[in-house]
Amino acid sequence: MKDFFKRVFNTEFLPASEVRKIKVMLVMAFLLVITAVTIPFSIFLDYTLAVKITVIVVLFIVYGIIILLIKINKILPAIQITMLYSIGLTLFYTQGTSSFYAYLFFYISLTIIIFYQELYSYLVYGTILVVLGVFYTITHQDGLILLFDVSGSIYIYIVILVLFYIIFFIQILYTEKLYTDLNFEWVKMNKIIDKYQDDILYYLDEIRKEAKEVPLYEDTDFQKAADELSVFISEQFNENGKEITNVLDLYIYIHEKGLTKILENEEISVSMKKIANRLDKYLLNQRTEMFSMIINFYSKFRESEEYRDNRYDYSLNNLTKETDEQIIAMAMIYQYLSNEITGMDEWDQMKKVFSKEEIDALFSSSEIVDFFTPGQIGFFKDNYDLFIQYLSKKE
Amino acid sequence: MQRKKTYVFSEIEDYRELLEIKHLRTKNNFVLSIISLMMVISVLYMFLAEFPLKQTITILVGFLLVISSNIVELAYGREDSHFYKLNIYITTLGIFSLTIGMIFLFQSPSTITALFIAYAISAFYQDLKVLILSNLLLLFTVIMIMLHFPEFLDFQNATLENQFGVAFFFLSFITILTISSYIIVKQKRFFYNQIALSKETEFRNIDLLIDLRKQVMGETLNIEEYYKKTASFIDAFCIKIETENVFKEKLKILEALEKKTPVSVLIEQFPNYSKEDFFRLEALLISNHFKLRKVAIKISHILDLDIKKREIFSETHFKSFNHQSDNFEIKIIGFVLFYAALKKGSTAMPGLSEDKIYDILINTDYYYYIDPRIIKVYKDNSEVFDEIVKDAFGKKAN
Repeated sequence: MKDFFKRVFNTEFLPASEVRKIKVMLVMAFLLVITAVTIPFSIFLDYTLAVKITVIVVLFIVYGIIILLIKINKILPAIQITMLYSIGLTLFYTQGTSSFYAYLFFYISLTIIIFYQELYSYLVYGTILVVLGVFYTITHQDGLILLFDVSGSIYIYIVILVLFYIIFFIQILYTEKLYTDLNFEWVKMNKIIDKYQDDILYYLDEIRKEAKEVPLYEDTDFQKAADELSVFISEQFNENGKEITNVLDLYIYIHEKGLTKILENEEISVSMKKIANRLDKYLLNQRTEMFSMIINFYSKFRESEEYRDNRYDYSLNNLTKETDEQIIAMAMIYQYLSNEITGMDEWDQMKKVFSKEEIDALFSSSEIVDFFTPGQIGFFKDNYDLFIQYLSKKE
Repeated sequence: MQRKKTYVFSEIEDYRELLEIKHLRTKNNFVLSIISLMMVISVLYMFLAEFPLKQTITILVGFLLVISSNIVELAYGREDSHFYKLNIYITTLGIFSLTIGMIFLFQSPSTITALFIAYAISAFYQDLKVLILSNLLLLFTVIMIMLHFPEFLDFQNATLENQFGVAFFFLSFITILTISSYIIVKQKRFFYNQIALSKETEFRNIDLLIDLRKQVMGETLNIEEYYKKTASFIDAFCIKIETENVFKEKLKILEALEKKTPVSVLIEQFPNYSKEDFFRLEALLISNHFKLRKVAIKISHILDLDIKKREIFSETHFKSFNHQSDNFEIKIIGFVLFYAALKKGSTAMPGLSEDKIYDILINTDYYYYIDPRIIKVYKDNSEVFDEIVKDAFGKKAN
């Protein structure tokens, strides 16, 4: 429980799938309280005893189904059912009484749906709730207005409910667009970082070969440490350490044979192949997730220049506003691109130098606007012959 | 004492703030439109319901005050982004004050629900401080009405059950609204954090790349040749546009800076240039870790970036040792390999000490990259982990 709350307070560190799980669990806790209160409240609702008992039993059964879905990690269906559950509760209250508190249920259910921030669910379930809410307001006026109320107060109820729905609709729409844009930028950044790390892996391997060291995965000390640590952790959960040692052996074996050969090997069981497939992202001889996390961890302990506002700014226009300096900088960048080794060639050797055509492609790509203004790109095109004649590598 | 979890790179805080402010302007515009719509609806209703003109004008002036303060702060926000921040607090206070004013004016339960609209508007900002402020205002108003103005909820069918129901479900609504807004605010932070984190990772990876390249290939950049070619290019360009070559002095300064000539010396040689000019020009050097080289390196890595739509919505880019699809054994293996690799190190990257590893794993975002059960075992037994590794590595371990 303590851990769960810790995770709730630190949701900003968790990916969407984890947050979704937390959301559904919080909604479950909330619905449990509401359902528990519904039992005594049902005494006052205008239903027969049989209906009341049936509804409450059904609510608990559905609640059990949601728990089951969470247990088997089917979060999306669980989310859908919690939304339907809250609508069901709303209907149970609103059809059983004409009190103001039943009207509040429309807001409670709408908030539960808003909580999930899923556009289509909000459009479907939210609209249903608003329509039901308007209908309820019109048909149960006596329970919602005072004896000497302001004129047209029923319309105030309706307008406020509809406005509430619209405001959150706009919010969800905006958030969806924002998350898509942010996600796109994040994915783009990760792809570029992957390319840097391809080069980093190559250089590290060269340094290792030069030092005549064995690769980490072949190092027996490393293997022994990993083996003993994994057995130690397994034992904390009263699990047999042998199983995890087998997985570790498989992990080392993938480095030797390669994943493709293991997947093609008919003698290896399907379950082992599945495990091998999942271990692939943690291999140490490729630019994998594991490699990336190690590099990023290490980079924390490397000296880095002091933070300045333009630390992440790679736009030439923000480096300098002086046109003459921008022209000099463009000349330098063009020379760098046409003369220097910029990555690995088709034979996986660190010998790739851009051709004229590739540099042209770079200057025509959509990403180039992150570095140069349209005016600067225009300058490059207008003086293309000079760039080629004076700055490109002589063949 | 439990330390607050932070991100592994403290540098990202400022950039995250920058991202938040960048999107705040759009949110402010949305809020302004909603408040204007509310003003039209409220005034129109009061006019049709034949409220006294004085009351209608009071409400109208209230709305106009909130709207004009919004416009003024948005205008100042262009110069100083703190005004955007100020605007969200003032608008929240303004819209709640207006709503409370309307509740007292109308004295109708229907108007009490307008508090939810005030909350919805402030929730648009997705800001933690605004969230606390609007929660306090909402809770305070609801409790105040229930305790001191129960006549506002004096329904025709008033029963004890009704009174309890209203109180209980009002509080339930506020609770779920608070939880919902809190998580949504945190969720938004996740994306800002990830982008900021990737920017810092990129910055440090380029630095590492430059150093490793130098170590493997030696310094391959022929700086003299760069300046010689640039000078020829500039000459030809000046001839082409038939103008005097005004670039010579800047090229001389840049070349001097490349040769690590101190700025104090350059100031004497080039009295027309200030310290700031030299500082700016330093970013345009192509050697070492200077910015222009980083720009060139980044450009050289952007070709053939293939981003598929499905990738945008998948979590494959979130690197961790706690993937939902992995079983417990794989999660353990992932973590121990990571830990042992950090301890072991290599020629280029020496192994890290236990203190350093523990600090990052327990006190930063890395804590959440690992299965909670596994990180708990590590947290409780970090000395045992250290001993196991020392034992396996012999004396070589850090």
